[in-house]
Amino acid sequence: MIKLEFHDPSGALEVTQAFAPRLDSLEGKRIGFVSNEQWQAFRMLPMLRDLLKADYPTAELLPIDAYPQGNALIPTEETAALVKKSGVDAVIVGNAA
Amino acid sequence: MKNAVSGLGLAPDAAMITFPIDMFLPGSDLTAIGARREEFYNGLLKWKSEFTQSASGEMPMLQVEGNSYEDALQKANNLLLTNLWGDGLPVWPATRERVDWILRGSALPRTHALGKFPPRGGTTTVETCSVALAMAGGRPEYLPVLIAAVEACFDPDNVFDQLQATSGGPFPVVIVNGPIAKAIRLNSGYGCLGPDPQRPAGASIGRALRLMQQNVGGALPGIGTMAIFGAMRYTNAVFAEDEASLPEGWLPHATQRHGFEPGTNSVSLMFASGVANVRRRGAKKETPEEDITQGLWRMADFMRVPNLAALFGWEKGTPGVMLISPVVAGMMAKLGWTPAKLREFLWENSKIPMAQLKRAGGPAWIEIDANPVTRDSLKLDPWPIAQKADNIILVVAGGDHPTHSQWLQANSPAVVGRVIRTPETFDRLLAESDRDLGCSADECRI
Repeated sequence: MIKLEFHDPSGALEVTQAFAPRLDSLEGKRIGFVSNEQWQAFRMLPMLRDLLKADYPTAELLPIDAYPQGNALIPTEETAALVKKSGVDAVIVGNAA
Repeated sequence: MKNAVSGLGLAPDAAMITFPIDMFLPGSDLTAIGARREEFYNGLLKWKSEFTQSASGEMPMLQVEGNSYEDALQKANNLLLTNLWGDGLPVWPATRERVDWILRGSALPRTHALGKFPPRGGTTTVETCSVALAMAGGRPEYLPVLIAAVEACFDPDNVFDQLQATSGGPFPVVIVNGPIAKAIRLNSGYGCLGPDPQRPAGASIGRALRLMQQNVGGALPGIGTMAIFGAMRYTNAVFAEDEASLPEGWLPHATQRHGFEPGTNSVSLMFASGVANVRRRGAKKETPEEDITQGLWRMADFMRVPNLAALFGWEKGTPGVMLISPVVAGMMAKLGWTPAKLREFLWENSKIPMAQLKRAGGPAWIEIDANPVTRDSLKLDPWPIAQKADNIILVVAGGDHPTHSQWLQANSPAVVGRVIRTPETFDRLLAESDRDLGCSADECRI
């Protein structure tokens, strides 16, 4: 038998930070939305907000435009700081395609 | 998205809800959101990463066995494809022997870290480059060019994570200047954007870079890169400027754009989204002046399109590369055209009337551009395809024939130059290349 041994070409991934812990419940939680305003986000995120409002009436849902919107603005440190300052328990980000 | 997440140092399996593309189109039916609302809620409540990181941080070697070498080679290729690490063409498995041979071309240690390949964030070392080059059929003397190209890709000005993933499908264009081009058999002449058995370096270097983009950077079609068509993505474009044919007073591209001394081995990296031919030569009894001027108008007219392809690089990048054949460059120079005059002509005459831009819906894209300087350009009428004439790249390359030019339309927020570093033993590698492949058409060391 001929054996060939060769390198995995994919390059190791190094996990340097953990995901945020999940919430125990959405009841009474403050939830924000970050929109890139692409791919129908202007329709989908308000719809999702309405669904959350109906299913979790005690949740505090921030307006869709509480933070800067658009691909140009949402990846910035300024937006991240605004999200942090707003004291939300969770954030939903959309949309990618 | 998984790539983007892992590129930030998180595990690569973020909480995501995915839908078919139809839902993201104008006027789409959104009822699926309500039907799958629990998935959104679970993303906030119950989702857990299932990613397990290797304890050592090192990638294990792969193994196959076959009844013969051919059988083992086939199995190795099958294994690479089933792991989504191939490109459909046969590859050389990156054995220790082959990778060690390639590594002789590096002036840097094999463990030297070049960075995290975006967007996936795979660890990228000199050895990672050597593995890709081994798979792509490369040779040691190509490695310095590949390393410099990878370093250029990683320049933050490129916004490489976005270029890797975007639906427009930009591909790297690596323009090499300096004597290394001929020395390693990199094409600057006939067919310089394609395969050439006498000058095979560009194919291997470009293919290796593409394999890295896919395997290390995660740009897998339809998953990690949404490039709808993905042109030129087998080998990208890696070629040299024909410096020997530059008319007197014309500077090499790397000197004009990056300020490198003539004779410096360097790469200049931009990203293009297409290659198109411009029939340049006159067809009847034109005077030399008419031939050149009419050809320049055809180039400018071709560039004056409101497709916003180069918007990403409006301020600091480039709208594209115009390839001019050596004989045409010579004709232009005889008539007093300098590269600066040519750029100015093309820039001035490729401006788009605002009415035409509005008719095509162009202003909306300019209004949402991330760069305020680009957004501010909406005041201009006619609208220039780049902030300034110097952004246009002119390169003398291609066959010595007057009929055509080619335009590499850009999607390139920057044009990045890097000096190529070669090991002290480089001449020995070149001599071995002559021994293995025969003397090249350009140079011979044996």
